[in-house]
Amino acid sequence: MTQVAPRRLDTFTLASEPGNERLALARVAGTVQDLGLSDARLERLKTAVAEATMNAIEHGNGNRAEIPVEVEVTQDGDEIIVAISDQGGEIHPDASGHEEPDLVRKLDGDQSPRGWGLFLIRNMVDAMDVTTDGQRHTIWLTMRIGGAAT
Amino acid sequence: MTSACEATTRALPGAAVIELSGEVDGSAAAVLTDAYERAVTAGAEDQDTVVLDFAAVDYINSTGIALIVSVLARARAERRKVVASGLSPHYREIFDITRLSDFIQLFPDLDGAVSQLSHPAA
Repeated sequence: MTQVAPRRLDTFTLASEPGNERLALARVAGTVQDLGLSDARLERLKTAVAEATMNAIEHGNGNRAEIPVEVEVTQDGDEIIVAISDQGGEIHPDASGHEEPDLVRKLDGDQSPRGWGLFLIRNMVDAMDVTTDGQRHTIWLTMRIGGAAT
Repeated sequence: MTSACEATTRALPGAAVIELSGEVDGSAAAVLTDAYERAVTAGAEDQDTVVLDFAAVDYINSTGIALIVSVLARARAERRKVVASGLSPHYREIFDITRLSDFIQLFPDLDGAVSQLSHPAA
């Protein structure tokens, strides 16, 4: 079986300004649109990219526009991998002390209504990994092209 | 590319309808809160159901989910039922994953929701 090297499809940066996650979502969707993802899985990837980018903008880079969020899209065989990096460092504010969202507790007022971001990301993609290298904090989103439609 | 959230409200017998459009994200907080207030105070006192129609909504993010949770919490505290209509398959899935659909009955469209509310036995 022939091993094909990973192929970088796109790389770009965004200013850390609220709302720019929509730019990331649209650009990644455009990049992967012809790779054969089902509509449902494309929508899932778009939501994961938007949420991860929003975390990078708000929690990683503190909404400081001058610090860029870096996005890289790679295809490795049957997998699309989107890497989203910020400068949040080892102790990423969104990952530290994160509590699993519990709707019943939220409705009872025992938990903040917020806190759905990482939960949504984990449930949207086939794999989510986080790496840190000094200041650089990266979330890796993996979506199999041939994965089940639902 | 982005479109601000807007809401129109109307009162039906027994139900307050909030039709949302645009993006349900953090910037929608005031719009959603005001719309809820307007919707439940505009109609008769027997309005025990709030219908959220998402047919013209093109984006919901995690902050928008939090806003919907807040609306649901308030409605439950006021003993009102919340139903939703017009969600795309993707956002229906998100309502399932977050368990919102355990507490909010989902209808394919607003007409279906209103019809069901008017004729619950049908």
